[in-house]
Amino acid sequence: MRNLANWLILGLTLTFLIGPFLIIIFAGASAGQSLAFPPDGLSLKWYAKVFTVESFRASFMLSMFLAVFGTLTALILGIPAAYALNRYKLPGDETIRTIVAAPIIVPGIIVGLALLRYLVVPLDFTVTMALFMAHTALVLPYAVRVVSSSLHNLRADMEEAAVLLGCSRLQAFMKVVLPNIRGGVLAAFILGFVTSFNQVPVSLFLSGPGVRTLPIDMLAYMEITYDPSVAALSAMLAFMSLAIVFAAERLLGFSRYV
Amino acid sequence: MFLNTREGLALALPAAFFSLLLFLVPVGILLSEAFQSDTGWTLSGYTDFFAKPLNQVVFFRTLKLGVLVAGTAAVIGYAAAFCIVNLGPTARGRVFGLVVLPLMISPVARTYAWIVILGRTGIVNDAIVGLGLSETPIRLLFTETAVFLGLLQLFMPLMIISLVSAMENIPRDVIPAARVLGASWLQVFVRVILPLTKEGLVIGGTLVFTGALTAYITPAILGGSKVLMLETLLYQRVNVANDFVSASVIAMILMVMSFSANLLLKRIASARR
Amino acid sequence: MSEILVSLSGLTLSYGKTVAVPDLDLDIIDGELIALLGPSGCGKTTTMRAIAGLLAPTSGRITIDGRDVTRVPANKRGIGLVFQSYALFPHLSAFENVAFGLRLQRLAEAEIRSRTETGIATVGLAGFEKRKPAELSGGQQQRLALARSLVMKPKVLLLDEPLSNLDARLRLEMRTELQRVQNETGVTMVFVTHDQAEALALADRIVLMKEGRIEQLGTPNELYSKPATAFAAEFMGFENIFRVENDALVSDAGSLPLSYDAGAPLLAWRPGGVSVGSGPHSGRVLASSFAGGHREYVLDSALGQIKADAPIETPEVPLGESIAFDLPRSTARPLAA
Repeated sequence: MRNLANWLILGLTLTFLIGPFLIIIFAGASAGQSLAFPPDGLSLKWYAKVFTVESFRASFMLSMFLAVFGTLTALILGIPAAYALNRYKLPGDETIRTIVAAPIIVPGIIVGLALLRYLVVPLDFTVTMALFMAHTALVLPYAVRVVSSSLHNLRADMEEAAVLLGCSRLQAFMKVVLPNIRGGVLAAFILGFVTSFNQVPVSLFLSGPGVRTLPIDMLAYMEITYDPSVAALSAMLAFMSLAIVFAAERLLGFSRYV
Repeated sequence: MFLNTREGLALALPAAFFSLLLFLVPVGILLSEAFQSDTGWTLSGYTDFFAKPLNQVVFFRTLKLGVLVAGTAAVIGYAAAFCIVNLGPTARGRVFGLVVLPLMISPVARTYAWIVILGRTGIVNDAIVGLGLSETPIRLLFTETAVFLGLLQLFMPLMIISLVSAMENIPRDVIPAARVLGASWLQVFVRVILPLTKEGLVIGGTLVFTGALTAYITPAILGGSKVLMLETLLYQRVNVANDFVSASVIAMILMVMSFSANLLLKRIASARR
Repeated sequence: MSEILVSLSGLTLSYGKTVAVPDLDLDIIDGELIALLGPSGCGKTTTMRAIAGLLAPTSGRITIDGRDVTRVPANKRGIGLVFQSYALFPHLSAFENVAFGLRLQRLAEAEIRSRTETGIATVGLAGFEKRKPAELSGGQQQRLALARSLVMKPKVLLLDEPLSNLDARLRLEMRTELQRVQNETGVTMVFVTHDQAEALALADRIVLMKEGRIEQLGTPNELYSKPATAFAAEFMGFENIFRVENDALVSDAGSLPLSYDAGAPLLAWRPGGVSVGSGPHSGRVLASSFAGGHREYVLDSALGQIKADAPIETPEVPLGESIAFDLPRSTARPLAA
């Protein structure tokens, strides 16, 4: 009896959380002209149409670029910071922690607007440059947090052991620390990638002629037409994210790090 | 713990400066903008903003939706989290995975689904017309209900995750012990589970409330210009009217609301000892 | 034979503004097994870390083999350290853990292989080369950590609480193992422990530390039978320590008259040194427990609680009843104030 109630609650919750996503997959596979569920017959024509929309292709590339290189940059900045915050007694470490974590707290739309007004306009930054920096800063807190937690689980005496066996500090980091936080770094990359790729509010104001991230482009497309191609694209993007996450989960138990 | 401070700072400061210069400084300037006038410091940006009835409506609507979404998420979240924790280890991992999964999907995709569900030719309207409850489709999109559902679906996983990890930290056998000592299930919840998971509730509550306040996509797609929230209002003010003072005011309101929600929840949690 | 290998002089160690060890002098003799013994916070681990080079001294000098190494970084001192947690590298196999330091020296592959294999065999882990540390038992991990340090042929091998993470049976096994390894290699060993039984059983000399200072230094026998201070006595199992004032024993609880001349400001007895069954004093039995060859009593007397061991042949006295006891001069250890 208890068990039944248990599964009933979980079933309803999961239907609410995941059901809409399943609906999208089918709505995108409609053979009809308009968005509907159940679809008017099944076809893959809207899935195919997505690839013919020029702006989707350009914005997909931009989003990919931002997600990959923004996250890599965030890791290059974030791994040493996480290491320092974990292993050293620093003056003002709480302040540094707060500053690095701040991008999570500040609403994205404000960030986008602020960067547009005070970096792009007066300092002559390109929109792409500003987008790149905004996405990097946005991913930085995740990078620091996830890498921190895997550093936290790695005892510092392991590095001391490496040093006593003859390593320099840098060697100890490369030979002992890095191999052991590999999983955390990869998890941080995936989390950062997904966050950056799906990010909307930050990019809202940071668009220029021909420079739009994919989610923004989708919003713009929806303002013109409600045809099922956006549903098809949404479904494909979702599958892309899921494929990455599942692969990561299989490879290294991704969910441990999130 | 290493004691070489200079080495540590050299490693930590690039990230800190990056965030500070490219993120916090511009945001700080933006926030200060509403306080500046040609003659000096002023609060007129704020008084003007709240003098407009539309702005008041939007402000209170945002607050209301934020509280409603966080509250509903907490109620459903406790039920769901409790069920998840009671599952066997394999099933627990799978169900937890399904809860986390939506977070990995683009919010645009997730919100878009509600158009299919709530639109004029959507499932709900088909059912209503089909059952003869109404002659013509009723307007479900561009209502507060639509925005509420969208936000709830978007942010509930954060609440469930926080509560599950809080509940996993409840020592084993505490709940059976309370039951053996004669507590009803309600008493077990109020006196054992709630106090032991309040940290999770604070984290989850802050995440959901802040998320709902600062969401853009959901109110933009499901609310449109009929159901403006602060975030969509900000976009409109800037894009339509180049009104940066209002934008700065809204930005400040959003941040103050997020921070005070966090402080308030922490207060409540620590008062309940 | 008794050449000094490591010498600490005027060593002051601190963490930030907290001084953990003020002004320590200690000579460690080549080939000995010396124990740094004391309660947690006594500075024993701090001292060990300073010898290893993991903590830079605020002032003072450390010399090894006559060479001043105070400013030599840890990776150039040639000292081995077996960590309490073993600090094995989880991503490397047992073989690669042991070979780690040798590879850094860029030795020829053949030499690395042979020295690593010998090292692994020395600690009895032959056949486990391919295992990851997580696939080894606690005792095996300990021995692997030992091998990893030994293959580097360190001048000094430091061991941090080497037996504390092992269960009782393994502890005994490891003790024997450490003594055997030391016999075979002749390496000087410094080990840190809070367990006096461990120090007494293993060490050639014991350095008893308290609050960063050396309380007493001597052979196990000297420390065990002739502790010099109340602290040392308590650490060595003299559980009944009383002040002597005006021909009486005094504690915070009260006093008992003495029938002999004490000759020292403090007198201390082990539980076995208290005679039970006859004597001028009496105490009520608070607790009584069987301990194999004897019975351990806790008595409530005019001096407060007294711990006393009675031969197992004597009949057990029930709880709450009184029993006569004596604190004889012959078993008392006189202590300086």
